[in-house]
Amino acid sequence: MSLASDSEFHVDDLPIGPLDDGTSILLTGDDREALESVFYRLVSAEDGEHSLILSTDESGIAVQRSLGDAKRGAKDRSSVLTCTGSSAGNNVTAVDDAGDLTTLGMELSMLVSGPEVAEGRMRSGIFLTSTLCGEADDTRSVYRFLNSNFLTELRRNEAIGVAAIDTSADVGGDANSIVTGMETSFTGRIHVESSGPGSATLEISGLGDDRTVDVAL
Amino acid sequence: MASNTVLCVDTGDGLTETTTRLAEEPRLDPVERTTVADATDYLESESVACVVTEYDLEDGTGMDVVRSVREAAPQTPCVLYTSTRPNEIETDAVEEVIVEYLNKDLPDAGDRLGFVVDDVIAHSAQVGFLAPDDEGSRLDALAEYDVDNLPIEDSFNRLTDLITSHFDAAVAFIGLLEKDEENFLACTGADWDSLTREETICTHSMLQEDVMTVEDIREDKRFANNDQLHDLGIVSYAGANMTTPDGQVIGQVCLIDHEPRTYDAAQQAELQDFAETAMEILELRQSLRAAETEEVAR
Repeated sequence: MSLASDSEFHVDDLPIGPLDDGTSILLTGDDREALESVFYRLVSAEDGEHSLILSTDESGIAVQRSLGDAKRGAKDRSSVLTCTGSSAGNNVTAVDDAGDLTTLGMELSMLVSGPEVAEGRMRSGIFLTSTLCGEADDTRSVYRFLNSNFLTELRRNEAIGVAAIDTSADVGGDANSIVTGMETSFTGRIHVESSGPGSATLEISGLGDDRTVDVAL
Repeated sequence: MASNTVLCVDTGDGLTETTTRLAEEPRLDPVERTTVADATDYLESESVACVVTEYDLEDGTGMDVVRSVREAAPQTPCVLYTSTRPNEIETDAVEEVIVEYLNKDLPDAGDRLGFVVDDVIAHSAQVGFLAPDDEGSRLDALAEYDVDNLPIEDSFNRLTDLITSHFDAAVAFIGLLEKDEENFLACTGADWDSLTREETICTHSMLQEDVMTVEDIREDKRFANNDQLHDLGIVSYAGANMTTPDGQVIGQVCLIDHEPRTYDAAQQAELQDFAETAMEILELRQSLRAAETEEVAR
């Protein structure tokens, strides 16, 4: 049973939320597995919601499997745009190149205008924004993309959004400075530090009381 | 109510339908063009708030129009309004040209168009920089300072002279970050008036708590492809925030050099001191003016 009110989004298995409609989260960390685990818990849709995921590094099928692992049935409440693998059915759309922000943006606009998203509540996610930064020739294009295709959709729809950054990745410049800059544009930030097999420490800021919590993954 | 010019590029019936839809919105003033060439000519001579274009055009594609927009006025939002699906659109030459895509075949496409155009204009939705989450409050804080009517020019010019000399830098400036551009209130070593926000380094520096330094902009993809910065001879950068008593960053005090350069912790602290001095000058002038206005009113 969801504890969230109509305008809020509930997060299972994490001491976070419920999150207000419109909340944007920058999710950072250098442990890919831990980052992924927290990401999918945040973006997996409950009944009456829909997940819209841009995956730069994993196939649509793998993304849907991760959504389903995080929340029963979430796989069937999702649309995935992936830069890896091929399109599959109505819910997985593939784009050849993570550096082709033009096509990625247009495909995302197309998916957002679909009935599943347009008529319901949306959990939007990008895994990994750091890959987009690394692939782009000009980081300003990534910022334009985030403004146009991520933050705008959170404003227009009943939605929350999570953009994940692997801080160990090459983002085409001073990673610390880029992440610090991005952080100010988001409602909050969750930094994930792996603390051992199956566990992590989350530093949470901007989402209610700032705090550090240990979680099982 | 101010109207926003929207350049609509399409052919035949599509153009009429698009402009008719947009003309229904009270704040929008649609202007028609039918080719890439005519649209490009218009963009070179006129300022527009938004561009709406079909993909298939007689002498090219809508992406050619968008590319012209990004060259003439990079912060202007563009909407690709077309029946052509995203996977049929050729993007090899425009992989990083971001547009809002709206498919004409959607049942409510016409209704959506007006909303989307209004929204992208109102929210500067396609700018190539990230603004703080509380940008509205920041701009309100900036608007509190009646900069045009404060006698700060001489003081700030003396300050940038001093900063340039102190750091042996090519250029020092004090700039305020408005909604769409940075206005330079004082500049020693160059004759700069203003730059659009997405072309400035300060728009990134203002998001940092500490002094931001860039040793060589050619090594950072936020700036490496920014022709405007290269044309100005900028290679290295250091910027410190001017922060109001309420904690809003309204401007920057910056150092520029024409060669790669680093700044140690002590130098960064000194630059921050100069930024705080600039802010104090602004505050004192503002307080003085408010007191004078109050005196006259009595």
